[in-house]
Amino acid sequence: MTDPVAVTGIGLVTPGGIGTEATWAAVCAGRATAGTDPVLAEAGAPVRIACRVPPQEGVRGRVWRFDPATRFLLTAAREALATARLDPEQWEPGRVAVVVGTAAGGVTTLEAQHRKLLASGPGALSPLTLPAFLPNMAAGQLALELGATGPSLQTSTACASGATAVITAALLLRAGLCDVAVAGGTDAMVTPLCASAFAKMGALSRREGDPGSASRPFDRDRDGFVLGEGSGVLVLERTAHAAARTVRPLALLAGYGATGDAHHPTAPHPRGAGLRAATARALAGAGRTPDEVGHINAHGTSTALNDAVEATAIRELYGTGTGPSVTSAKGVLGHTMGAAGAIEAALTVLSVARGTVPPTAGFTAPDAATAGIDLVRAAARPQRVGLALSHSLGFGGHNTVLAFTAA
Amino acid sequence: MDDRVYPRLVTLLGDKFEVAADLIRPDATLGDLELDSLAVVELYVTLQEEWEIPLDDSAATAELTVAEVARSVAALLAPGKAGGTP
Repeated sequence: MTDPVAVTGIGLVTPGGIGTEATWAAVCAGRATAGTDPVLAEAGAPVRIACRVPPQEGVRGRVWRFDPATRFLLTAAREALATARLDPEQWEPGRVAVVVGTAAGGVTTLEAQHRKLLASGPGALSPLTLPAFLPNMAAGQLALELGATGPSLQTSTACASGATAVITAALLLRAGLCDVAVAGGTDAMVTPLCASAFAKMGALSRREGDPGSASRPFDRDRDGFVLGEGSGVLVLERTAHAAARTVRPLALLAGYGATGDAHHPTAPHPRGAGLRAATARALAGAGRTPDEVGHINAHGTSTALNDAVEATAIRELYGTGTGPSVTSAKGVLGHTMGAAGAIEAALTVLSVARGTVPPTAGFTAPDAATAGIDLVRAAARPQRVGLALSHSLGFGGHNTVLAFTAA
Repeated sequence: MDDRVYPRLVTLLGDKFEVAADLIRPDATLGDLELDSLAVVELYVTLQEEWEIPLDDSAATAELTVAEVARSVAALLAPGKAGGTP
């Protein structure tokens, strides 16, 4: 067990709304955000529903330079820094790290510019193509905006990317390479290419006639996820650093685990072996035992395989009695890809800080594969959460588990 | 000079490139408007697309004035030179 890391700020840009409070309200209300997407419909994508971030009116600040994924990140980061009461004008820039996870980088830009290349030739390409789509550039642009000159890097573990960024940031803090880490995840993958590719794999819900019920984590009739987009950012510092600033943490990152399944390119290990191993490491790092876990913010994608494997792993770890409460935000927000791990980490922090566990939207009934877990359903549940885990799984067999405790 | 071009350029500089309106004058250079090298080329690419003209972005520099850029576009809009308008 090592010193926990303080979470002193969070910021969110999600389909539930711009800002932490808007997102938290949508998730706690179980208000699904999926709808027919005009971009996917116009492109003739095989699945045309998605969860979009609502438009940000009047947003300025050189937005023309950035892919939407970077724009989401910059907005979320500004909120996270405000929550943490950190002012880039005041801090020591060389002691601030920026770590950002993404699954796809600026794929919106890449696709748009590729269409221009095919239609009009290379002369039509924007000179901003590379700065907007390279997978490292969200972190690079955020560091530039903040004037942060400590370590700046991007992590990519598919849909675990945002959680991997949080772990990486904690490692940088513990290694003494920075005093503050702005860590998050961002993606904007509601594009014709991505939607079509996921549809080709059979990963997306086909419930186009009823988008609001399409994302239904752990539900008997789940048939795939709904593509989402957004960004989540956490401000991390050593507890002593936060204390010296007289800032009270929202929660503590007490432990974390990361494993690889080495099983299949896209399917999780059938019994969740990697997830269970990551959980064991997170709990060992926190100096806790499974019976102390009060709540799990599940990966819960609403795909047949993920939810069955995750429920199996939870049953085997905690039994089928009074185990931890379990929820998935993806019933409301869809699957925000590389942002999901950071967004859900922030929601887990809020559950710890506020004593409220959001419901799993879209859930009506379990099947045999997802039964036996204490899924929060229908309405938010008041619960004093002393120790909560956030699960993230990604194509490639990546598993990350973050363990948060009350400050 | 085609009198449609300059007003449209002013609008574009304000809306997309977020240049403060009071900075935009015919004799202001793109550098005066704080457009860096990437932004200058992006401006030219945007103008190419909007006016459907073969504007040569290899000649784009921050030393050009707003009026000079407008003249370059207008020259390509002269009858018989190029097609559409936005």
